[in-house]
Amino acid sequence: MDLNKHLPLTETTYYTLLSLLEPAHGYIMMQKVEQLSNQTVKIAAGTMYGAIENLLKQQLIKAVKSTDKRRKTYVITEKGIEMLRLDCERMKHITYITDKLLPPTALGNGGVEDA
Amino acid sequence: MHKFKFFIDFEKEEKWLEQMANNGYHLQNTSLGYQFKRERSETATIKIDFRKFRRKEDFIDYCTMFEDSGWKHLAGSKSSGMQYFKKTGDTDGDDIFSDNNSKAARYKRYANMSFELAMSFLPLLVVFYLTDIIDFKAFINPKELYFTPGLWDKTGTSFWFSFLFETPLALMRGFAWSFIPLTIILYLLFGYKSNKLYLQNKSDKK
Repeated sequence: MDLNKHLPLTETTYYTLLSLLEPAHGYIMMQKVEQLSNQTVKIAAGTMYGAIENLLKQQLIKAVKSTDKRRKTYVITEKGIEMLRLDCERMKHITYITDKLLPPTALGNGGVEDA
Repeated sequence: MHKFKFFIDFEKEEKWLEQMANNGYHLQNTSLGYQFKRERSETATIKIDFRKFRRKEDFIDYCTMFEDSGWKHLAGSKSSGMQYFKKTGDTDGDDIFSDNNSKAARYKRYANMSFELAMSFLPLLVVFYLTDIIDFKAFINPKELYFTPGLWDKTGTSFWFSFLFETPLALMRGFAWSFIPLTIILYLLFGYKSNKLYLQNKSDKK
């Protein structure tokens, strides 16, 4: 199984997968993504529908039995969790190496100068 | 009120429907042209998606998700492809798409459907050709398409009466098949145009 072809995940895909650690339907996913990202990522209905379709095709999420007849419920798969782990490790390295090379003071000063 | 109009560009269609709502005409149905109901003028936000569904429950799930997030499904059916949505009060976003890729992808789905339809007419064309219904000799000798005995020996009013009487039938006999290649060309054209819109929209910077 070639996991690397999906990596790196886009910000929207990452949050969408993260929103499905517990089973949820589309609208709940939209709300969760917004909440998990501190309101920085908002996915509209049409975009979310397409995203779900793609993630199902890539087998990163799967449909589960739902008590709600009008709404389909999904949950992340093992492959999806593996993908989140791999991408998280990748980003951890990025933040680690950035913190190491870019002193926080430089960041602070830059901010002051810009303001 | 009924209106017949044809759009390939979804954005132009959305603008037109919003203008109609502004004039007090509200979209009710699209099964045969656009059907409007006269009501009060309204500043509406109308958005169009293109999707077909295999199963009824897929379609219901799709509509419910839009309604949950503040978009009322105005018109469209399971297999109509075109899906019309109107923004209801309780939503903060102004679009049913939040990125250019998904906004452009609806043109891609439309283009693919057009190409598929065009292709589905090809076998019919082959069958018609093999069964001699498509006969190119008719272009060279259209006289063969007239069956009235002794038509070409007649003269004067008698000739013209018989000739004009049979001409529509002769045309049907000889060229009725041409609606198939015309349909194919039309679908290819729609497909080509919406594919172009897909590429344009995809590369648009927001």
